[in-house]
Amino acid sequence: MTSQAVFVLFNGLASGMAFFLVAAGLTWVFGILKILNLAHGAFFMLGAYVAYTVGGVWPASIWSFIGVALVAAAAIGALGYLTDQLVLKRLRNVDYHYALIATFGLMLFCEGVAKSIWGTDYFAVMPPPEVDHAINVGGSYISLYTLFVIATGIVTFVALEVIMHWTWAGKIMRAVSNDPWMAGTLGINVTAVLMFSVVASFALAGFAGGVLVPNQALSPHVGASFVLYAFMAVVIGGLGSIRGTFVACILLGLVESANATFMAQYGGIAIFVMLAIFLVWKPNGLFPAQGTT
Amino acid sequence: MTQTNIAVAAGSHSNISAKLLPLILIAALIFLFLAPHLLNPGLLFIVGMTLIQSIFALSWNLLFGFTGLASFGHAGFYAIGAYFTAAALRYDFNLPFLAVLAIAGILGAMIALAIGVVALKRLTGIFLAVLTVALTEALAKIIGFIPALGEQDGLGNFARPVMNFGLFTLDLTHSNDYYRFLVIASLLIIGALWWVVHSPLGRSFRAIREDADRARFVGIDVARYRVISFMISGGTAALAGALSAPWTRIVTLDQVNWLASTQPILNSLLGGFTSFWGPIVGAISFSTINYWTRSFPGLSEIMVGGILVVVILVAPTGILGLTEKLYQRVVGKRGRA
Repeated sequence: MTSQAVFVLFNGLASGMAFFLVAAGLTWVFGILKILNLAHGAFFMLGAYVAYTVGGVWPASIWSFIGVALVAAAAIGALGYLTDQLVLKRLRNVDYHYALIATFGLMLFCEGVAKSIWGTDYFAVMPPPEVDHAINVGGSYISLYTLFVIATGIVTFVALEVIMHWTWAGKIMRAVSNDPWMAGTLGINVTAVLMFSVVASFALAGFAGGVLVPNQALSPHVGASFVLYAFMAVVIGGLGSIRGTFVACILLGLVESANATFMAQYGGIAIFVMLAIFLVWKPNGLFPAQGTT
Repeated sequence: MTQTNIAVAAGSHSNISAKLLPLILIAALIFLFLAPHLLNPGLLFIVGMTLIQSIFALSWNLLFGFTGLASFGHAGFYAIGAYFTAAALRYDFNLPFLAVLAIAGILGAMIALAIGVVALKRLTGIFLAVLTVALTEALAKIIGFIPALGEQDGLGNFARPVMNFGLFTLDLTHSNDYYRFLVIASLLIIGALWWVVHSPLGRSFRAIREDADRARFVGIDVARYRVISFMISGGTAALAGALSAPWTRIVTLDQVNWLASTQPILNSLLGGFTSFWGPIVGAISFSTINYWTRSFPGLSEIMVGGILVVVILVAPTGILGLTEKLYQRVVGKRGRA
C-alpha cells in the first residue's frame, strides 16, 4: 500500500510539473495580454521537435540535454517574436472570441507545418544517461527522470515567482498586467513589455518541449493532448495567476495519477470531474486575478 | 467542380440580397436533387457530408452569431446524436427512424439544458470555452469505456433504416435513397432554423448578443434565453449527428475530440457568422479545400489554419461579409456615376 502511495505521489507530481511547464507560459501571456493562446501547445510541440532534431535520440549527458532544451527555447522564442509581430499584436483590441479562434487557427497551422516537415510517424527520445534508471523509494521504483522533471518544474516555478515579485522587471510586468494605460502614462514602454512577455512565454513552451520530450512519443498531436491539461490548470488556478496554476497543476497531476492507479479501467475521467467541480464551486479560480478584473 | 460552382454561386448572394437569393437557392435545390445522377458515389458522399456539416455549423452559429456565446465542445452534441442513432440501428431498438431522430434531438437539447442550468449562469467567455471543451473530452472518455459503443474502435456494422409508414414503406438502404432523405431532412432543419432566427425569439437572441445589459433593461430574461438558445443549438447539433450515422455507417471517437468541435467554428467564420447563410457557404468552401488538399499530409491543416488566421485578421465577417463589402463598393460607384 505504501509503495503504491509513493508511486502515485511521485507520478502525480511529475505529471503535475509537466503540466506546469506547459501551463506557466500560457498563464503568463494570459495575465499580460488577456489572450488565451490556444496555439501554446503547438509551440510546445514544435519545441519538442526542435530538441529531437538538434539533440537526437540519445542525449550525451544531462548538461547537453538541458543545453538542447535551451536551444529549443531560443528557437521557439524567436518564433514567438514572429508570431507576436504577425498575429498576436493585431489581436490585442479585439473580442476574445476572435483571439481564441485565431490562435486556434495558428495551432492547426503549426501542426500542419510539423506534419509536413517531420511527417506523421512517432519518434522517441531517451532521457539523458544520468537519469535513465530507477531507484527504490519505499518499495516502489521511481525513475530518476521523473525526479528530474519534478525538480525542473519546481525550479521554473521559483524562478518565475522571484522574477515576478522581487525584481523590477516583474514589477513592471505586473503593472502592465493590471492597467496597461496607466502603466503607459508612467513612462513604461507597454508595447515592449508585451512583446517581451510573449517571447518569454514562447521560450518557456520551447524549453518545456525540450525537457519533456522523453516523457512520451513525439507526434504532431502531442501539443493538443498536453495543452488541454494546461487549460484546465489555468482555469482552476485562476486565469493569469502563476501560483494558482502551480497549485492546480499539482492537484491535477495527483488526481490523474491516483485515477490511473486505483481505477485504471476508468482512466482519465477524474480530472474532468474535478474541473467541473472547481468551475461550479470556484468559477473564478483558486487565486482570482486582483485589481481591475 | 460542381461543388466550387455552388461555393461561388452561394458566395455571391450574401445580402446582395433578395434579388439573387431565391435564384441561388433554386439552383442549389436542383443541384442537390440531381446530384445522385451527376456525381460518382465518392463525390456524392462528400456532398452529403457537406450538408450535415452545414447543419452542424448552423447550430453552432445560432449560439455564437445570434446569441453571442461560444461553445468549443459542440462535437459532444453531434456525437450524442450520432452514437444514439448508430446504437438504435445496430441493436434494433424497434423504433421508427423518425422517432430515433427526434429522440436524438431531444437528448441533445436536454443535455444542453442541464449544462445551461448549471453553467451558463455562472460562466461566460473563456471559462465556458474550457468547460465545453472538457465536457466533450470527458464524453469521449466515457464512450471509450463502453463496450456496447465500440470503445476505441467506433460503432459500425449497422444497416441504413427502412421507414415503415403502415400504408407504404420507404427503403433507405441504398445510398442514393438515403441521400434524398438526407437532403429533405436537411432542408427542413435549415428552414426551421431560418424561422427561429427570424422569429421574435431570434430577435431576443440578437438583442442579448448586442448588449446583454440593455436586453435585461428592456425586460428580456437573459439567462433564460441563453439556455433556450443553447438547447436549440445542442438539439440541432445532435440531429446533425443523428443524420450522419446512417450516411457514414460508422461512428468513431474521431467525431468527439475537440478538433471535431472546431469544424463548425471554422465553417461559420469562413463563410461569415453575421449572415444566416454564412455557415453553409463556409461548409461548402471547407469541403472543397479539403478535397483538393486531401493527398498532402499537413497541407490541409496549413491551409485551414492559415485561412482562419487571415480571415480573423483581415475579414472577420468571412466570405459573405467580404462579398457584401465588395458589392457595396461597386454599387456605391455606380450610384455616384
